[in-house]
Amino acid sequence: MKTGNRYLIPLGLAAALLLPQLAVSDESEDIIKYRQGVMKAIGGHMSASSLIVRGKVSYKPQLQEHAKALKILTSDIPSLFPDDSDFGETRAKAEVWGKRDDFVKAADVSKQSIADFLAAVEQGKPDAIAAGFQKVGDGCKGCHKDFRQKDD
Amino acid sequence: MRRYLLALLLCQPGVAASADSQQDLIRQGEYLVRAAGCVSCHTDPDKPQNFLAGGRSLQTPFGVFYSPNITSDKKHGVGGWSDEDFERALRQGVSPDGSHYYPVFPYTSYTRLKLEDVKAIAAYLRNVQPVPQANREHELPWYLFRWVMLAWKWLYFQPGEFMPPADRGEVHNRGGYLVAIGHCSECHTPRDEMGVLDPARYLSGTKDGPEGESIPNITPHRQTGIGKWDEDDVMYFLKTGALPDGDYTGSLMAEVVDDGTRYLNESDRKAIATYLLALPPVENKLLAKKKKKKKTVKDEW
Repeated sequence: MKTGNRYLIPLGLAAALLLPQLAVSDESEDIIKYRQGVMKAIGGHMSASSLIVRGKVSYKPQLQEHAKALKILTSDIPSLFPDDSDFGETRAKAEVWGKRDDFVKAADVSKQSIADFLAAVEQGKPDAIAAGFQKVGDGCKGCHKDFRQKDD
Repeated sequence: MRRYLLALLLCQPGVAASADSQQDLIRQGEYLVRAAGCVSCHTDPDKPQNFLAGGRSLQTPFGVFYSPNITSDKKHGVGGWSDEDFERALRQGVSPDGSHYYPVFPYTSYTRLKLEDVKAIAAYLRNVQPVPQANREHELPWYLFRWVMLAWKWLYFQPGEFMPPADRGEVHNRGGYLVAIGHCSECHTPRDEMGVLDPARYLSGTKDGPEGESIPNITPHRQTGIGKWDEDDVMYFLKTGALPDGDYTGSLMAEVVDDGTRYLNESDRKAIATYLLALPPVENKLLAKKKKKKKTVKDEW
């Protein structure tokens, strides 16, 4: 098992380095469209969740589905921003690539806040749900603050 | 009792000066510093621990400005300022040494502050943690001397406290006051080449906002503004930065929310929403600015 791990790491690294390289060439414009699609999907679930959490609509049983969808969609945000996808129709700031460590950290904060939110929804505690949802929103805003150009 | 008194004060900044407690005045000033959006510009985002110590760069079409230290530090900050000094700075755009501020410091909006609110802000700023951080010189074109600002002011500056229109309700007018001192207009209203706001296009957004950013139309125009938002949407946005479509605001407005509007109490957020949604809708579609960077050809292997 130990020997296996030793090979797994370099293999994984090689794959991680290769995949974005393969992805760039012709696909990069499509990658931008793809990530905008994913972001819109996240926005859709955030909007729906917000209406439920704020008690504006009575779709409480659906909240768990939205939270699960958010968890899946945000599982690897940095992968939506590979190298060479920083041109053309995008509002992503240069810092996404220039301050990569900070960007990955911000994405991790969001990911964790969504995991906590889902856990709160599963436990069905209204206070924890409201607080958890606010943290998720803070995560979105935090990342958009540093890494997205204004124009909304 | 004290709690109720404080709650009352937070809802009614105008009466702060009559409070007999200095502590309440300071709390009131802190609330107003948040409401007036002082924090984002006067705190360097890379040094948040140096709260209100300035040093933040502001890229504008007129040059690069660096915000000054407004902590209670006696040498670099405003620790030695009198109430009168604050009044002249905030409402007349004149520093204690008599020089004229550049309007990047939005005294053009702060001139609408009530005198008792100026005194509360002064009381608070004289009590914030002093930070001995020196101020940095602005980087401006050679012709933008301070005295040029006197001419600019003479031509364009319209001083005067906020005058609530008599035909509007109290909530609406409170909203108008908060939008004025929150200096929303400084970013959300288009300017002419002299940097003067265009009153006919009040709050209708501009593609030439600070730091080259596009700033949205916040008049209730249905297609190009916030006409599809309801009061609760505006209030929720001011508290969280969430847009009705589930997106979250970013960049400069995220700072405004984080450092300012999220501290506003519910009745003040409601007042702002009431005011904005009652504005005359202005059609102003802002096309998204896209990066022009071209794709580079890469060797494939």
